[in-house]
Amino acid sequence: MKFLDSLVAGIEGSALAEWLRTTAGAIPIIEAAHVMGVALVFGTILIVDLRLLGIPNRRRSFVRTSNELLRYTWLGFGLAAVTGVLMFVANPATYVGNTLFWWKMAALLGAGVNMAVFELVTSRGVKSWDRDTRPPPAAVAAAVLSIVIWTSVVVLGRWVGFVPDYDFSIPEDVELEFVF
Amino acid sequence: MLEFAEWLQTTRLSVGLRAVDAWSIPVLQSIHILMIGVVFVSVLVVALRVLGRMRTDQPLPDVVSRFAPWLWGGLTVMLLTGALRGIAEPVRQVTTLSFWLKMALIVVGVVVAAAFQRSVRAKTASGAAVAPSGATKAFAGVTIVLWLAIIFLGRAIGYDYEIWGELSPVHAGSAE
Repeated sequence: MKFLDSLVAGIEGSALAEWLRTTAGAIPIIEAAHVMGVALVFGTILIVDLRLLGIPNRRRSFVRTSNELLRYTWLGFGLAAVTGVLMFVANPATYVGNTLFWWKMAALLGAGVNMAVFELVTSRGVKSWDRDTRPPPAAVAAAVLSIVIWTSVVVLGRWVGFVPDYDFSIPEDVELEFVF
Repeated sequence: MLEFAEWLQTTRLSVGLRAVDAWSIPVLQSIHILMIGVVFVSVLVVALRVLGRMRTDQPLPDVVSRFAPWLWGGLTVMLLTGALRGIAEPVRQVTTLSFWLKMALIVVGVVVAAAFQRSVRAKTASGAAVAPSGATKAFAGVTIVLWLAIIFLGRAIGYDYEIWGELSPVHAGSAE
């Protein structure tokens, strides 16, 4: 953990971190951009997942539906990733000490694995179920899993901000004066 | 308005929402953010269709019908979660410029969306071809920016003074 501690201290003391913390408006603008990125990612992925589940129907080509949204998903993901890294850089210790933050990172990893499996394996035979046909169970499962994971990412992300890693214990070498 | 907010803050519902603060506020905000995704992307897809950049294989009225329930459903849930959030800490909301700007822009956004939907449906009913004019396309672009501004203002409520400086009523006149 010594390495991690020095890494955190290094990031926290960097010029960028200092600039982010002291520039008025920097953090709120970054956070707002993060929400915009998250909205793009979640909304576009939801359309694709629901299409796999046949909501509202299966009349439109899955490949076309998915492909034309993909660039917006990546745009949103890029925006969320860059702003997320900046939020981390500004206060790394808060995030490193926050269990929910690590759960969120794990959920993001899970979302990536789910997507990779779908892209590389499940969607190979997509031509046979591109429209008007029920996709194979693996594709339906990937869609359900994707909705569950991305919802968790958003919920965990919101929760991270509510569990700051504050240490309420009183340091031993501090003398307290109680004034009542 | 401040008197009303102060009274609201003392009501049982407000106190109750804050008492279970540990989970109620994050839950409400999480649902609110998920719905931002649903609403924003619904607006975005329809706007991009108007601009001829998405779903060009589908007629515009079909795209509008496809996303209208998601837009209105999502907005309703956002209104509910946002209202509960506001009831929990009303003074924090009404004393910010960001909150009022956000409310004003939401009204504009809702009116624009409803008017657009009506006009598309009226044209479809009359059998006229629905081909967006240049002005409609410009409007589609403005609508995307409008909803991005609403998202920004939602986040800005918590940082009102930092964003607006002296324009913010939060610390107006105080030394902070």
